[in-house]
Amino acid sequence: MALAIEIDRLAFAWQGDQLTLDIPQWQVEAGETVLLRGPSGSGKSTLLSLLAGINVAQLGRVKLLEQSLSDLSGRKRDRFRADHIGYIFQQFNLLPYLSALDNVLLATQFSPKRRQRVAESGQSAERLAMQYLQRLGLSASQQQQAASNLSVGQQQRVAAARALLGAPELLIADEPTSALDSDRRDDFIKLLLELSEQNNTTVLFVTHDASLGQYFNRHVELSDINQAVGGSSHA
Amino acid sequence: MLKLAIKSLANRKTSALLTVIAIAVSVALLLAVERVKEQVQANFANTVSGTDLIVGPRSGDVQLLLASVFHIGALNNSMSWQSYEKLSQNRQVEWSVPISLGDSVSGMPVVATTAGYFQHFKYGNQQPLKLQHGEWFNHSEQAVLGADAAEKLDFRVGDQLIIAHGTGGVSFSEHSGHPIDVVGILNRTGTPVDQSIYVDLKTLEDIHSGETAGEAEEHAHGHTGHDEHADHHHPTSAISAALVGLKSRQMALFMQRDINTADGEPLTALMPGQTLQQLWKTLRVFEQALNGISAIVVIIGLLGMLTILLASLRERSREMAVLRAVGAGPGTLFTLLVTEAVLLTVVATASGLALLYVLQISLAGLIQQQTGLLFALQWPTTAEWWRMLFVVVAGFLMSLVPAWRAYRQSLADGLTVKI
Repeated sequence: MALAIEIDRLAFAWQGDQLTLDIPQWQVEAGETVLLRGPSGSGKSTLLSLLAGINVAQLGRVKLLEQSLSDLSGRKRDRFRADHIGYIFQQFNLLPYLSALDNVLLATQFSPKRRQRVAESGQSAERLAMQYLQRLGLSASQQQQAASNLSVGQQQRVAAARALLGAPELLIADEPTSALDSDRRDDFIKLLLELSEQNNTTVLFVTHDASLGQYFNRHVELSDINQAVGGSSHA
Repeated sequence: MLKLAIKSLANRKTSALLTVIAIAVSVALLLAVERVKEQVQANFANTVSGTDLIVGPRSGDVQLLLASVFHIGALNNSMSWQSYEKLSQNRQVEWSVPISLGDSVSGMPVVATTAGYFQHFKYGNQQPLKLQHGEWFNHSEQAVLGADAAEKLDFRVGDQLIIAHGTGGVSFSEHSGHPIDVVGILNRTGTPVDQSIYVDLKTLEDIHSGETAGEAEEHAHGHTGHDEHADHHHPTSAISAALVGLKSRQMALFMQRDINTADGEPLTALMPGQTLQQLWKTLRVFEQALNGISAIVVIIGLLGMLTILLASLRERSREMAVLRAVGAGPGTLFTLLVTEAVLLTVVATASGLALLYVLQISLAGLIQQQTGLLFALQWPTTAEWWRMLFVVVAGFLMSLVPAWRAYRQSLADGLTVKI
């Protein structure tokens, strides 16, 4: 089975010698949907920044889709991220001055690979984006509205459509549901996972909310894999 | 990228618009300085052509040229008729035309000359004067008017005018006893000719001497043998200057030196083109000062843009983070900011150019009325294109500052937003 995420003897400290992350071994298989839970300050954001290739671990290695991030130059990491990983954030997801549809299309604007995959599906990026938005519950007129005019829930769905357009191998979501009420949150997650499954996209969903675990293949507590913060074996 | 930059700017349209206006106005100013200079020089250069030398009483070259051709300023001395006759008989001289200045009609300068003026005076590209109405004067007490003079004074062929002594708008000494008939009106030339009133040398002499001599006698004199009179007697005792055409232009320099160093009455001879160059050289300091000021205004406008772009970076860190997350590298953000700034500058420069044309079209009439300068509508000159390029390049260079900031900021912030 191919691995989507592979972490090997990872150690990371922001400054000084206080380790934020110390993960000896952790893997996510391709096609899995994983919920990674941890309280605030447990190193979630740091782990995400390492997975996104924004920061580079001082020790150990992070492999995404069998590719070691530390072997890539900054420019290549940007390209790799654009091509293979879709992101959804807690907030600040959309460019307020673009329409919902144009925001989704940004995904293909900076990634030739994603454009190519859209082309292979036999549809134009615009048609596909409209379909995604439709499935996520945005009417045609809402799709043309500036993102700043959409509700938070709608904005998150637009962000999801963008993360999935062009079928990236990996979807990383960072607390995307924290601004939604529980009904909308559950609907959102179900739709997200449904679309991901169609694209064979591996999902890593990071949250502090343990009640979402039921929707995912696997539920992982960050404290179980990270020995640096609150780790049991930090002797 | 361009679309993104345009939409991002549209999102901040108030500050973008203000930036564009500030730069546009400064660009218009920068171009206007160049255009005014260029058009004034063209106008002046167009005023005399075909005249190889202008000879007058001893004075500065520029003073003599301005007074004799452009009717700007005055000559303190005059040139005797004897000197003029001697000059006109020089074997290098093909033609010569005497002119006498100093009188006016309601502020319009009166040029007393001979019929030879209409034959030999050329403007622009060797264009001769042409009549719009009527005919040339052929004896005294007749006048031919420039197009503007006729329009401003509301004179038509057949009207009568009264010449006043002095060049001011209001004169205390009007030669009211000598009404002059308007017999012709010239076509518009776009030169000081348009402002002038042409009369025979004899006319001026008559009205000046007529003040003391009997009027009836002068009238009779004028009506009887005018041609005979001109041939056998001096039409006047002194003139202001003479326009001279030489048989060979190459001789102009020698003639000029001969006249300037000749014994007898001290005279000044000048070559119009050369003297104009001398004038522009004198004025170059002012021109450069104006250029310097307008360049500073442009830079202030661009600094305004720089300020606005830098200030917007903070509130745009969210935008940058989103772009980073969808795969835009720091280099892309750098390019985005440069694109924005260059876009602003290009739009502003184009608006500045448009503003210049709007100003030129709306003010051309007023300028011509006030100064007699004809501002031709034309495509931007090479010098103007260079100036516009200077603005765009300066805008580009300034944009590197916020672009570099955005680059660094996006590297540090990554996909998160630091507030």
